[in-house]
This record gives sequence, C-alpha cells and structure tokens, in this order.
Amino acid sequence: MANTLDQLVDQVRENRIWRSIFRSGTGESNLHKSLFVQQNVFLHLFSIKARKRTLEFSATWYLGALTFGTFMILVITGVLLMLYYHPSVPQAYADMKDLQYVVSSGVFLRNLHRWSAHAMVFLVFAHMFKVFYRGAYRTPREFNWIIGVVLLLVTLLLSYTGYLLPWDQLAFWAVTVGSNIASAVPLMGAKIRFLMLGGTAVNANALLRFYVLHCVILPLAAILFIAVHFWRIRKDGGIYAGDHSSEGSNQ
Amino acid sequence: MPEDVKPKPSPDSPEEMSRRQFFVKLGVGSVAVAALGTAAFSYEYLSPNVLYEPSPVVDAGKPDRYAPDSVTLDPQTAIYVVRTGEGFFALSAICTHLGCLTAYKPDLGIIACPCHGSKFNKDGVKIEGPAPRPLPWLRMWLSDEGNLMVDRANAIAIRQLVRV
Amino acid sequence: MSTPKDFLAVVDSDARKTPRRIAFITKRTSPQVRVKDEDRVMTYPEVFFRATVAIETLAIALVITALLWDAPLEGLADPMHTPNPAKAPWYFLGLQEMLHYFPPVVAGVLVPGLVVMALIIIPYFNINIEAEGMWVKDKARRLRIFGIVVVLFCIFLAVFHVWVALVPTLIMAALMYMAAQTDPQTATGYRRSLVSKPLSFWIMTWFLFELVVLTVIGTFFRGPGWSWVLPWKGAL
Repeated sequence: MANTLDQLVDQVRENRIWRSIFRSGTGESNLHKSLFVQQNVFLHLFSIKARKRTLEFSATWYLGALTFGTFMILVITGVLLMLYYHPSVPQAYADMKDLQYVVSSGVFLRNLHRWSAHAMVFLVFAHMFKVFYRGAYRTPREFNWIIGVVLLLVTLLLSYTGYLLPWDQLAFWAVTVGSNIASAVPLMGAKIRFLMLGGTAVNANALLRFYVLHCVILPLAAILFIAVHFWRIRKDGGIYAGDHSSEGSNQ
Repeated sequence: MPEDVKPKPSPDSPEEMSRRQFFVKLGVGSVAVAALGTAAFSYEYLSPNVLYEPSPVVDAGKPDRYAPDSVTLDPQTAIYVVRTGEGFFALSAICTHLGCLTAYKPDLGIIACPCHGSKFNKDGVKIEGPAPRPLPWLRMWLSDEGNLMVDRANAIAIRQLVRV
Repeated sequence: MSTPKDFLAVVDSDARKTPRRIAFITKRTSPQVRVKDEDRVMTYPEVFFRATVAIETLAIALVITALLWDAPLEGLADPMHTPNPAKAPWYFLGLQEMLHYFPPVVAGVLVPGLVVMALIIIPYFNINIEAEGMWVKDKARRLRIFGIVVVLFCIFLAVFHVWVALVPTLIMAALMYMAAQTDPQTATGYRRSLVSKPLSFWIMTWFLFELVVLTVIGTFFRGPGWSWVLPWKGAL
C-alpha cells in the first residue's frame, strides 16, 4: 500500500499540470536543491548556500528566526480575528466577548494572538541583545543593525496599537497614559497627540486610527523592513559567526 | 559530483523500510492529520454561531386588520398576507428570478416584479416572465395571543390555509 | 605572461562544493591574502529545516500557553472611571516606573529618545568595533574618570530618590571595579572573562540590567497610586 502511495505521488509529480506550476522538479542533487531556493519568488531572498558554522544553536539561539515565527503567527491569527471585530465604539468590546464565548475557537485564537504578541516583544529584545553581545553589528553590518532598531520600534508600535483594540479599561487607560506621554514632546507634543488620536480624546476616531495602523500600515512597514533585513544579512556576508571570512561576498 | 543523500532503495519485501523512510512517512502523516484538523476548525471558526440579523419569524398582527379578499404587502419583511374567503396564507414577496421586491397590482389582480417583468397570480403561481419557480408559500400559524405569525425561513409545499 | 613560470600553483579545493576565486600574483608583492576555507551547506534543506523546527517548537509552546491561559479582558472602557493603578503594557512599565521620578519630558521623551539614538550609533563608534578590554590600557586614568562619572551619576540618582536605578548602577560599578582590579594573567573563572570586556559591553549590560529591574518593579512591586507593594503580601 505504501508503494502505491509512492507511485501515486510520482504520477502526480510527473503530471503536466503539476510540472507547469512547479517547474524545477524534485531531486536529491545539489542542482535541485539550488533550484528550490533560486526559482521561488519568496525563497530566492535567501542565498543558495550557507556557511555551516552559522547554523549552530549557540551562534544565534535562532532568535531572529523565532521572532519572525511569532510575527507569522500574529499575522495569521490577526487576520482571522479581524473577521469578527468591528473597530467601533462600543461594538469592539462586544466583539471581544463574542470571540470569547460565542465564536468557535475564538478564545483560542485571541489567546494565541495575545501571547504571541508578548513573545514577539520579548524575542525581539533578546535578538537585539544577542546580536550586540556577539558583535554582529560591526562593519559591514552596521546598516542592518539600524534596520533592526527600526524593526524594534515597529514591533513596539504594533503591540501598542493592538493594545487599544479590545476597548476595555486596561486598553483605554494604557493608551491614555501613552498619548499623554506623547504630548510631552517639546514644541510638537500636542500636535503629535492630536494626529495620533485623530482628536483630543481617546474615542472612536482614535480606535479607528489605531486599527488601521495596527492592521495595515505597521504590518506593511514590518514586512518591508523584514525583507530588507533578510536581504542585508545575505549581502553583508551571511550570519556573523565570529570570524573574518564573512566579510561581504557576492553570494 | 552530486551529494546524493537518497535513501537506500527499499528492498523487495514490502515490510522493510529504512528508518529515514519511516520518519518521513510519520512526518508527512502527522502534517496531513494536522492540516485536516486545522481545516475542520477553520471551517467552524469561519461559520458564525450567532447572527445579528432580524428574526425570520414575523408577527403580522391580528387577522381583523386584513380586509376580506385582500393581498397586503409588508415591504419591510417582504411578505404578502393574503386573505381569501376560506382563510389566510402568506407568500414570500421576493421574486424567485433574481431577488427583487415584487408589488401587488390590485387593478390587474396580479403580483408583478419590476425588474424583469415576471408576473404571478394571487396564489404565487407564475403567469409569465423569466422567474423559474412560483412565489413560495410561507408557514403561517396563529399565536397564543391570536396574532398571525409567519416564518420566512420555512416554506410549505402543501397549500395550507389558516382559518380564523 | 612574458617571463617563464617559476612557481607551481596547486589549488586544493572542490571547486563545485566551494567555489573560490584564485588570484595569481606574478610579481613579488607585499600584501598577504588571508583566506579561510569555510564549509558550506545547501540552504535547502539545512537552513530551512532548522528554522522550521525552531519555529514549530515555539508555535507548540505558544499554542499550549494559549490553551491553558486566557488573555485578560477587563470591563468596558469607561472614561469616567480611572482604574487604580492604570498600568501600561509590561514592555512600557520600565518607562512608567521612571515617570514616577521624572517629569514626562524626561522619562517619556528624553530618555527613550536618547536610548534609541544610542542604539543606532553603536556600530559607528570605533570603540565598539575594536572591542578592546576596558582596563587594558591607561588603567589609572580611566579608573579616575570612571570614578568621577559613577559618583556624579549616583548623586544625581540619589537626589531624585531613584533608588530602583541606583542599586543596579552600584552593582554594575562594583563589577566594573572588580574587573579593573583583576590581573588578566592570573585570573580564573568569570573574573577572567570580565577583565577583557570593553566599555560598550558594560554600558549595554548596565542598560539591560536596569531594563529588567525597572520592568520587574513596575510589574510586581507597584500597586494603587503607584505605591510600593510586596507582591506576596499585598499592599503595605
């Protein structure tokens, strides 16, 4: 029975329609492994080969990959949650109750989204400290470090804008405190706060702005900067592994 | 020289499988099970359990409101309450062609749809036009308070009249 | 080439496994080319499978957490009623703790702004790139400057009663002083690793320490009215 399953898989793979979609075919040779990366629009952001030493756990603790993993979980759960959430006052709070008690798997998705968000903030800080302590910010990787700082700020902003969306006491007052801190910026503070909230108080306008920031603007920014971040890793010579042979290469 | 990491070809006897093949099958099987589970739960998540829409059951009021031999349209709930000599029945006012709201023409004694010209008689039977089916009869009953109740979600096949 | 060959070039490599460029320098020149051969592996499957396993492990941990613990949801937002205490999300609690001591301009704008600035310029400072031990050169002079800076900073913190920041600062200063007094030749254990740390290491570690302490205090040790509470006892 196992053999017929294999035969079935092979038949599918040799099928004309399949081959028109997946043109490189499969195989164990280095050529096939190269094509798998190089011919894929998403994967060809990565280099075909990687230095073996960079794959050790002790090198990076995989913190960058883990941060990206939490980001993916957040995007998926976030989009699903958006289907039951109306960013209006006070409907937003009613929708939170809806998700907890009425919607199938609603409580699970909400929990997963919340805990992944905390995990992502923690992991992005851990990633930054790990990169610093192993000196992976030095030439030629300075600019990628700055991209990383930008991503740190985007992550914190994503978390902060998402925090308001449940429209409960915790959310409302956390954002009130935060917006008052923003108004403390000299000269422009009040203006910044006004633009941030879409008004002078934390109300329906603020909720809508934070919703658009959280679901559209900031995720787009994050995806763009993540792409540049990955690209720069490759162009700066791959993951830093504490040696000198990793200076910029043409990989 | 390609780095061949192909597993050793499986021997002829079907019971033997290399350790790698076993784990590959185990992995693929687990992923398949997880995918099926995810699909099932996703379907459940995406279909709402509670709808925030008006109830299909309509309270059409007391039977005396309706004149004998009349056809009364309620545009908000899209039903006709029809009173004949023998009793009451309810028709859906939504044209079976493409969903427009029909209207009763008292001078002609027919129900007409403004969109594509379908015409129905007072029993809902189609006279002319592109509508594929007659206007459905809706389940009607008398409530405990003596009100006519119509359930828009339940059509009845047999012509039943509510006699008052 | 005009002159006949007087060298034998032997290149020992698997060109298909690890492609390399070869430069033939025909004249005697001084620059030396230091090349280390590195073992390379195919991105697919080596990199992708490892990343996938790491992310899957994390996903399982998060799913279990989501199944066991509920995210909090308090009552409907009420602009008329401020809860006490009104706390920011945990990653901002360090900031909120500092708001207790300093005005919003300082704690909310100046300090975070300076922190972000400092982070951005780290890789452009030679002192970070060279990564030389802090106490290796010029020890006496550096100790003097270190002493003055620490004393001034601690006085500043004491004046504003920022004990929560003062204690970690004193601990870090003590560690740095201990590193200064350690002889690199005879040191063992963790003292040996500390003695060679550069200034950038100390500053970043001080920052990390402060961040953790302030966040922990803001999370567990602050109650109504931002008063000091012991989490295992309740409000004092």
